[in-house]
Amino acid sequence: MSGVQFTRRAAGFMAFAAASALALSACGPSATPQGSEGAGELSSEPVTLTMTWWGNDTRQANTQKIIDAFEKAHPNINIEPSYSDWAGYWDKLATETAANNTPDIIQMDALYLSTYADRGALLDLSSLGDALNTSDLPQAAVDSGKVGDSLYAVSAGLTAYSLVANTSIFQQAGVELPDDKTWTWKDFAEITKKISDSGAGKYYGASAYGFEDGALRMWARQNGDQLFDKDGKVVIKQETVKSWWDELKKLTETGSVAPASTTIEKQSGGLSESLSATNQAALGFWWNGQLTALSKASGQDLKLLRVPESSGGKYWYKPSMFWSASSRTQHKAEAALFLDFLVNSQEAADIQLTERGVPANEKIRTAITPKLSETDKAVVAFLDDLSGDVGEAEPVTPPGGSAIEALLKKYTEQVLFDQVSTDKAAEGFIKDLSSEIQN
Amino acid sequence: MVSSAIKHAALILAGLIMLYPVLWLVVSSLRPTDEIFRDPGLVIRSTEFSNYADGWNTLSSPFTVFLINSSLVVLGCILGNLFSCSLAAYAFARLDFAGKKWWFAIMLITIMLPIHVVIVPQYILFSQLGWVNTFVPLILPKVLATDAFFIFLMVQFIRGIPRELDEAARIDGCGQGRIFAQVILPLMVPALATTAVFTFIWTWNDFFSQLLYLTKPEMYTVPLALRAFMDAQSSTSWGPMFAMSVVSLIPIFLVFLFGQRFLIKGIATTGGK
Amino acid sequence: MSALGELHSLTKREKGQPKVKVKHRHNKAAYLFLLPWFLGLGIITIGPMISSLILSFTKYNLLQAPKFIGFDNYIRMLSDESLHQSLGVTFLYVFVSVPVQLGMALALALLLDRGVRGLAFYRSVFYLPSLLGSSVAIAVLWKQVFGTEGLVNQFLAMFGIAGQGWISSPQTALGTLIILNVWTFGAPMVIFLAGLRQIPTMYYEAASTDGASKFRQFRTITLPLLTPIIFFNLVLQIIHAFQSFTQAFIVSGGSGGPAESTLFYTLYLYIRGFSNFDMGYASAMAWVLLLIIGAFTAINFWASKHWVFYDD
Repeated sequence: MSGVQFTRRAAGFMAFAAASALALSACGPSATPQGSEGAGELSSEPVTLTMTWWGNDTRQANTQKIIDAFEKAHPNINIEPSYSDWAGYWDKLATETAANNTPDIIQMDALYLSTYADRGALLDLSSLGDALNTSDLPQAAVDSGKVGDSLYAVSAGLTAYSLVANTSIFQQAGVELPDDKTWTWKDFAEITKKISDSGAGKYYGASAYGFEDGALRMWARQNGDQLFDKDGKVVIKQETVKSWWDELKKLTETGSVAPASTTIEKQSGGLSESLSATNQAALGFWWNGQLTALSKASGQDLKLLRVPESSGGKYWYKPSMFWSASSRTQHKAEAALFLDFLVNSQEAADIQLTERGVPANEKIRTAITPKLSETDKAVVAFLDDLSGDVGEAEPVTPPGGSAIEALLKKYTEQVLFDQVSTDKAAEGFIKDLSSEIQN
Repeated sequence: MVSSAIKHAALILAGLIMLYPVLWLVVSSLRPTDEIFRDPGLVIRSTEFSNYADGWNTLSSPFTVFLINSSLVVLGCILGNLFSCSLAAYAFARLDFAGKKWWFAIMLITIMLPIHVVIVPQYILFSQLGWVNTFVPLILPKVLATDAFFIFLMVQFIRGIPRELDEAARIDGCGQGRIFAQVILPLMVPALATTAVFTFIWTWNDFFSQLLYLTKPEMYTVPLALRAFMDAQSSTSWGPMFAMSVVSLIPIFLVFLFGQRFLIKGIATTGGK
Repeated sequence: MSALGELHSLTKREKGQPKVKVKHRHNKAAYLFLLPWFLGLGIITIGPMISSLILSFTKYNLLQAPKFIGFDNYIRMLSDESLHQSLGVTFLYVFVSVPVQLGMALALALLLDRGVRGLAFYRSVFYLPSLLGSSVAIAVLWKQVFGTEGLVNQFLAMFGIAGQGWISSPQTALGTLIILNVWTFGAPMVIFLAGLRQIPTMYYEAASTDGASKFRQFRTITLPLLTPIIFFNLVLQIIHAFQSFTQAFIVSGGSGGPAESTLFYTLYLYIRGFSNFDMGYASAMAWVLLLIIGAFTAINFWASKHWVFYDD
């Protein structure tokens, strides 16, 4: 074999490899036929469903127990789990979807739902018919899993935006807890200023908002505005976003919230390193389901409060997470059976309690409430108590909308460090977000 | 005498400063999770080994499983790299063949593209071959010398070996295979040891490709298991995570401590007669 | 150079001996030695590389088939401010951290080469940070040093200086990452150590009998014979620094913050490709990076003719 021949052959081989790799990457899951109505017959043969979720070791242990219970009831079905942390989860899911290798059962988040649904990766759950029963879920919760007219996800739990108050810091500062049904942003600024002054750097009145979309959505609703509309457009007014950052800047300048660099350092560490968890902030903006984790981390008596000026339909229930199925699943009937077990079975709920959020299924919620810890009971009570003040549901986040958190973080940081005016930040944010969505 | 004491004092001081984060990690692994961030510094109030027990047992498999999986992957990668990179390096360093410069340039170019854009096509390739959820996609690339870093490293070492040594072997009638195996390989032990140590450490810490290719928890490796303690939205089990980080550091530290013996060998002791 | 020159004339082949000049005399053997590498190139490396090149001319969101859009991705790069920011960050990082890290690694390798008791232990201790460098725990650990309540600020407080959050301030965040990179100098140090050990002792013995001073031995033996390894470290560290990802990803929580001050090129590429489902654009970014790194590497190789000394 001479060298020249060899290289020619090698070149041919490489061209083949390149061509095949391309051909493969070109066959994404485009417009898969959904098949006939109904979930189809359950198989009596052994069936394996793959399942994936993000979360920590507690969730891993809980979910494994749920899987065991399900497999016991259905011996021919084998659930093959896979889990990872949040960031790795989405990288992996995207790669698997690119290779048509999407797991059958997928834990889904509101930020990514339409991204996957719009591009044909998720199964229309309404095609499952009666096999997946959603009648015990409130209509708003069911609707939150819809993109267009199709149901792509079923809510695993609900949560709502809130302030977590550290009562012992309030006591130390000699400040009364506010009446959260009537208080205003002005009250908020005064109270937090008083607490920060008494803390003298040891603790602050509040930790800053500005790093996730909940606070902005709430602010928009309070100002008669909204972030996205039903058609998936960014419709929030520049003025609304500007005023949101103006308020944050004012709070930072008066000392109500911690200085910029402290805020950003603590924020990047996630919940466990936050000012709330380390008892350095009297108030913090959180989804109410995070109360239990925060109480555990801080070791203090924490209370849930409503966000200022939020009465009269400003509130909304956010699905803490969803369950979805892959549009390519070979086992629709079994997938439906398992999803139904996750959402509707008392057995699964008893294992999971509120670890994935307060169950949206109202029957189940009532049934598990007595079994909950004190803080979890407070979480449920807060949600129940809100029901009169809950307005319209938030429209589904459009495809590509998952970029919002990174954008908010970037612009909030620039605003806090005075690198950009709040007006320019608002303009840039809306422009960037719109282009991510069209993308 | 005095200068040696100063030298040691300086080394120890520098070592302590450099090691502060490592010490903090060890100390924190002995604290209850909720105290780690409320109470920073190096003072331990109460020593708790429960993080180690928890970390070892709370995931779907005992931590031993992850350690074994990582060891298997690491072992495969080390053998693969030693075998294939040394062969390729010998060709590049000592043999005269058509298009050598071009092939060498292509080899370097292959490591200039960030992994994030080639990993998806690569994943699709391996998944079509049915190799997802096996260790093959992690080990096979090493057996096929895709780690150009080590080829280049070995090339530089081989070029540092005086040519007179292989000339002598050639005069004795050795073919290229024997020159490689009997003359060059023994002389490049430091480079081989470096390759082995680095492959160990980099594979042991590698997260992204292991994340993508390993799906079943019983196939998980140490980096995947460590992330399984984390959830930024809810609570991260820092205590067990730190404890298992310490556990996972021990093998690499030991490998380095004992492996460096081989780094020190080489011409200094075996060659230059 | 004379001492070294003398040494060489001792060992080099005699001037008169004719050099065999047959073109490509080892073709067959070479291809056999390179067989695994060729297979790897053909099966694993080239295909995905070419795929990514072709994808760079498409709009590809990972979930749907790619759409051909010509040079749009490349044109978009011209007006992408985040991309320009990331280039600035990356160049600054490469130009500061590579020389500092290599200098530190070489100095410690020389110090830890011989002549100090307990070498094995010191070497391992100095290597320990490199073992931790890409661990998930590093984000937390680095805050213990450079955070508002970290070691640096505690130290400054002893002198009554009020520190700041070094990681969370846009002016200093990149600096802390450069220090983090320098802190993990273990890899090049080990390569230097191995290189030092490969220098034949006979050179030093001969030089000693000539009465050459330690410094002179360093300058005329150690340094020239180490140049291939210095060159290797320089080339590879530059390539690595341009692709720097993990540490910035972990320390900034994946965002390149605060305010994009640690937005490395590869980190931004990853964010575009995976977080924003913009793999076509990410691929275009990757090929631009390849050109940049390729240019630097080519310059390096060209310059190496003037300072790197090979014994062959």
